[in-house]
Amino acid sequence: MVYSSLLFIYGYFPAALLMYYVTPKKYRSITLLILSILFCGMLSIWYLAAMAVYIAVNYAACHIIGKYVRRPAAALPFGAAVVFDITMLFVFRTELFTSFQKTIKMPEGFFPLGISFITLSAIGLLVDVYTGRVRGDSDIVTFILYFLYFPKLLMGPLMRFGSFAKTLSNRRYSLRDIGIGMTIFVKGLAKKVIAADSLYMLYKSVTDSGLEDMSALTAWLGITAYVLCFYYTLSGVSDMGTGISYCFGIRLPQSFNYPMFSTRIKYFAARWHIQAVQWFRRYVTKPLSGISRRRWIRRLIFMAVWGLFGSWYGMSLGGAVWGLIIGAAVLAENKFSRNKALGITGAVYTFIVTAFAGVFMAGSSLRDSFNYLLVMLGGNRIFADSLSLYLTKSYIVILLICVYASTDLFRNMLMRSGRSKLRTAVGAVSPLIVLAFMVLCTILMSYSGASEIMLIKM
Amino acid sequence: MHNAVNRATAVLMLIFISVMSVMLFFGHKDKRSERENRELAALPDVGLSAMRDGSFAKDLEHYTADHFPLRDKLIAWDASIEAQISERIVNGVYITGDRLIDTGASDRESADRSAEAINRFRENYSGAVYFVCVPTSSGVYAESLPPYMQKNTESRQITALYSSLSQDIRRVDAYNILKMLNENYVFYRTDTKWTSYGAYCVYRTVIQKLGFSPTAYDKYTIDHVTDGFRGDLYNRSQYSGVKPDIMDIYRCSGGAEVLGCVGSDEQGNTYERQLYDKNGLDSDYKYDMYMGAPLPLVKLTTSVNNERKLLVITDDFGACFVPFLTQHYSEIDVVRPSEMSGQMSSIIDPDKYEQVLFLFGIDSMSDSTIYEKLG
Repeated sequence: MVYSSLLFIYGYFPAALLMYYVTPKKYRSITLLILSILFCGMLSIWYLAAMAVYIAVNYAACHIIGKYVRRPAAALPFGAAVVFDITMLFVFRTELFTSFQKTIKMPEGFFPLGISFITLSAIGLLVDVYTGRVRGDSDIVTFILYFLYFPKLLMGPLMRFGSFAKTLSNRRYSLRDIGIGMTIFVKGLAKKVIAADSLYMLYKSVTDSGLEDMSALTAWLGITAYVLCFYYTLSGVSDMGTGISYCFGIRLPQSFNYPMFSTRIKYFAARWHIQAVQWFRRYVTKPLSGISRRRWIRRLIFMAVWGLFGSWYGMSLGGAVWGLIIGAAVLAENKFSRNKALGITGAVYTFIVTAFAGVFMAGSSLRDSFNYLLVMLGGNRIFADSLSLYLTKSYIVILLICVYASTDLFRNMLMRSGRSKLRTAVGAVSPLIVLAFMVLCTILMSYSGASEIMLIKM
Repeated sequence: MHNAVNRATAVLMLIFISVMSVMLFFGHKDKRSERENRELAALPDVGLSAMRDGSFAKDLEHYTADHFPLRDKLIAWDASIEAQISERIVNGVYITGDRLIDTGASDRESADRSAEAINRFRENYSGAVYFVCVPTSSGVYAESLPPYMQKNTESRQITALYSSLSQDIRRVDAYNILKMLNENYVFYRTDTKWTSYGAYCVYRTVIQKLGFSPTAYDKYTIDHVTDGFRGDLYNRSQYSGVKPDIMDIYRCSGGAEVLGCVGSDEQGNTYERQLYDKNGLDSDYKYDMYMGAPLPLVKLTTSVNNERKLLVITDDFGACFVPFLTQHYSEIDVVRPSEMSGQMSSIIDPDKYEQVLFLFGIDSMSDSTIYEKLG
């Protein structure tokens, strides 16, 4: 069950809200726990059982580490638990451990949604306990919710245990928060159902046509669709989660802040998947940078961590190359144009870098990616053909809308207009706009009942 | 201001979601959808294995979708919106200005194994074997499809199939006949299959191969029995912007009469059938007007006095083709392997016929299980 399904929106979600708000305030965390367990169990009972074991191991490890905190004895359980978590990520997400998957009776073709986020959450928590920032004997309900809280199960946001616990205890029950939540939810839903699904169709049409006689324009259309679809899928699903959480009075942060078409690649890097990037900076870059003060080593580490970040997405070499390209571009930009504001050229440059990087994220192997890159650069000596014209004609409107909506132009326009009429007007109709998008997305999901094509499963 | 907007949003959305979910929970649940011509999903059983691999939630999702309030309206809107915002493809159906075309044609697997099964049948059979492979509208109107779907066309698939059939099977090139005539009403606009007129055009060539001269077009009186036929492509896409189709009945004035038309199933139960059964027009799938709902075997006897017997092994495409053959044979037996669970030999003996005509749509040729029943 994904958030973008009729079953969730008109079945699970209202039932959950009802259950939550009829429970006395004191016990609402328990209700959330039950709801999250139900949600996870709906995905698969097996997954629920696997998560129970996973959480138990981490809980025990936190206890033991907490007992010996700042003593050498803590290193062993800490190391063991980290290795365990990383191994589980590989077991779940790669084909390296198929025999082990069989031993633990993992259902065939099953993908444990959210495992990538759960792994990073777990490791972050272990580090925090190890360094003494978080106590090892935390409340068990909060502990389980940290992993399984259903609005953040599928795609984050990735939070530190401390801030999650704080958010959980600082709840605000108001109609206003529900309104904000609904707005964010519908925004995420529209990103997934309208934008991501159409872009996926375009991307699919391009890849289906085969590389041999693909024109450069087709290749560019394909990769533009991929890059935007990648963004809209990730941010759409995490927005939906954030929105749902707001409805429960729990204010989760938003994960993306209009990264696409940033005027500098540096801004892209700062606005892209904010909590995840922060996680890597906090738990990988910083400790590694302690090794040496030399500048070139630090730069190397910076790039390598971006590579690691990229491979976390795709669990592939291509993903790593995606990260390395972004990392290298940030470094290059810092070196060559320090404080210049780069207007439209900057946005184009950011797009080109993300497109080139996207080729590697998309490709099934490095070789395929290089071939695709060649076609984009005109390797087939065809600039445009009937296919590219057909696709342009079919998709130009939705593509332009998606490009515009992925930038912060509209938001900035509203911000700058201050207390002007425009803002009032947009505000006044916004409840109706939200409802209209909800209806539109419901219509678009009505045939199959869900929009569950995921460009990337995490 | 801002607070008021958010509160208004909350109230509006909560009302909308609760109304919809109450309608979903307590609304009337149909078993069948006429518009889509299919059974709707039933509430899934709670079972351990379904809960284990997540299929329970999937089934529940399907159930929700199938019984969602106003589903018929929503999916119709869905089709027209989807056709606007991206490529004009809805649920695998491509929408051109005047017709619907199936986009699955280019993904079909090879028909090699089916050809092998047919060749095996040929080896064990002493009479003459004729083979007609009929394209669907995706083949005949392939150039209307998006460029990337024009690689593995039906024309290629049929050529490949014909080249792997054994040499002494006589083939008829239905594809080029229909392709040449594709300005005419040879295929339905909302269905994958050919019209009676399309079938007639191919019949003219087939019957000559079988050794007769065709009945002239002007000998037929043609009845337009309905102009409201919406076919399988409409059922799938729910796109109502394409005009519904006309269905025709062809009767040969002064020609031979059909004396008997008896269908039977594998258990030996018999059913009275008609070449054109107008009751079929009231069913969910009007195409059943041609020879009624499909049965494994239909035996036809006619007033033709030549003691010639023909065995026709076919699928849906045969239903509107067979009527033309009745002018030439005293007995025609029509077998549909796709409707059988056992082997063909349990219902008929091919050696009792001097000629066998295979007539199949290319869309069912990749499924070799159908042809392995030929024995």
